[in-house]
Amino acid sequence: MTTIAPGRQPESVLVRRPGPEELHPVRTHRRRRALELSLAVAVPLVLVLWWQLAADQRWIDARVYPAPSTILSDGWDRAAAGDLWPDVWATLKRVLAGYAIGTAAGYALGLLMGSLPLIRAALEPLLDALYVVPKLALLPVFLNMFGLGEGPQVALVAATVFFFVWISTMSAVIAIPSGHLDAGRVFGASPWQMFRHVLLPASLPSVLVGARIAAGVAVLVIVASEQIAASNGLGHLIFDSRALFQNDVMFVGIVCVAVLGVLFSELVRILGRLLTPWAPRDRGRGQS
Amino acid sequence: MGDPHPKLHASDLTRVFGRTPHTVDALGPLDLTVAPGEFVCVVGPSGCGKSTLLRIAAGLLRPSTGTLAIRASTARPAAMIFQDYGIYDWKTVQANVRFGLDVQRVPRREANARAADWLARMGLADFADAYPATLSGGMRQRVAIARALAVEPELLLMDEPFAALDAQLRMILQDELLEITQALRTTTLFITHSLEEAIVLGDRVLVMSARPGRIIAEHRPPFPRPRTGDIRSAPEFTALKSQLWELLRKEAVPA
Repeated sequence: MTTIAPGRQPESVLVRRPGPEELHPVRTHRRRRALELSLAVAVPLVLVLWWQLAADQRWIDARVYPAPSTILSDGWDRAAAGDLWPDVWATLKRVLAGYAIGTAAGYALGLLMGSLPLIRAALEPLLDALYVVPKLALLPVFLNMFGLGEGPQVALVAATVFFFVWISTMSAVIAIPSGHLDAGRVFGASPWQMFRHVLLPASLPSVLVGARIAAGVAVLVIVASEQIAASNGLGHLIFDSRALFQNDVMFVGIVCVAVLGVLFSELVRILGRLLTPWAPRDRGRGQS
Repeated sequence: MGDPHPKLHASDLTRVFGRTPHTVDALGPLDLTVAPGEFVCVVGPSGCGKSTLLRIAAGLLRPSTGTLAIRASTARPAAMIFQDYGIYDWKTVQANVRFGLDVQRVPRREANARAADWLARMGLADFADAYPATLSGGMRQRVAIARALAVEPELLLMDEPFAALDAQLRMILQDELLEITQALRTTTLFITHSLEEAIVLGDRVLVMSARPGRIIAEHRPPFPRPRTGDIRSAPEFTALKSQLWELLRKEAVPA
């Protein structure tokens, strides 16, 4: 930032001068972007290549940890043969249904509890207690309630998503500056108008942060629950192929889950950006 | 200035923001010389690059072209006072004032003594253990001033420090600052929107043009030091103020 040149006195001269970023702004920016992009590609690539090398050199047991090339070709074969899609589709359906229900319920309750202190007083301790219960522990309850089939899986995703969206909505509504609310009140806005013009847009940016975290966690939960109580889906595929000692299929399933999770939370992020054009853009990745 | 050893010397200083084709020329080219112990006020319309100049002097930002040289005996000679106080809500008043000293690793005992001394000078002694959130705006800005001066900076940079205060409080703090800086003779670069403030405080008042900011006029308020806030009612004061306003109005109105 600064350079110190010796002066005639004990004092020295501190010079603020242009750095590389100022002298060559375009070139510096281009280099910076290229570096970021190549790091984003190179780090996973190096890890995968390392893994491949380890499998080829028999540092690791290829039957337990199949080489990336095996996983890729196996996944490709299964996808081409159509064996993979039923499981992907089953998982996707459960995640989307559960996510929709959980988001809608969480948003509605968060809005109510954020704007009406009495409802907040009545429900907050109860929901706080439920929040800390691991949702997977509720799976047996949902199995009893809905029987086998899609019901318990969807309910589990919905219950998980609900809490993330509920908490972020409620805190967002509580945090709305009173000036925003007062301006609406003075004009005589009805509750619906208040919601439409103030509460909804003011809370949306932080609700979407909660929704994005929930998107990742939804995939996480569905895979776990499919391992326990489902006859199809990616979670079932992963667990079942391990039992049959088809470790390559297991890894195909794991890769599918990762891809599904990334696509889903990116989708929520892009949707959020379209819904809140006024909010500052975050170029970073989601926390999920 | 005929001084062969100016405290601060900027030559051909410019700053551009953004990348082609979306660039904004924020500042300059600007040449500026500040003598040791001089109090220089910079006034100019909004967005004219006043703050950019200050941030370059503080080392927070680099110039796009040109250089700014500071003659100093330490590596970090500057202290800065911000418009929005910049004091930390999670530190007590005493800890806030001590912050600069803590960062410079001044021993705790000495740092506490110097902080206490500055709190007393700023009339904050009773609030040493309070948190800033409990203080009024004027008090908070006094904390910011105490924090900056506690490190005994060679160069004091002030970025519209009183802009958020009400008119009466602003005058009171101007008078307090006048008294302190006349005693300390710290070289100061003071940025403000208020012509009155600039004339009361400054040895020199520089008027900047609209963006990209250049210096279009320079005035020396004809009031010998030590001066007090009473000069506000002098006829020369009013005359200089309207003279400066004539200049500034042309710049403040978008062409």
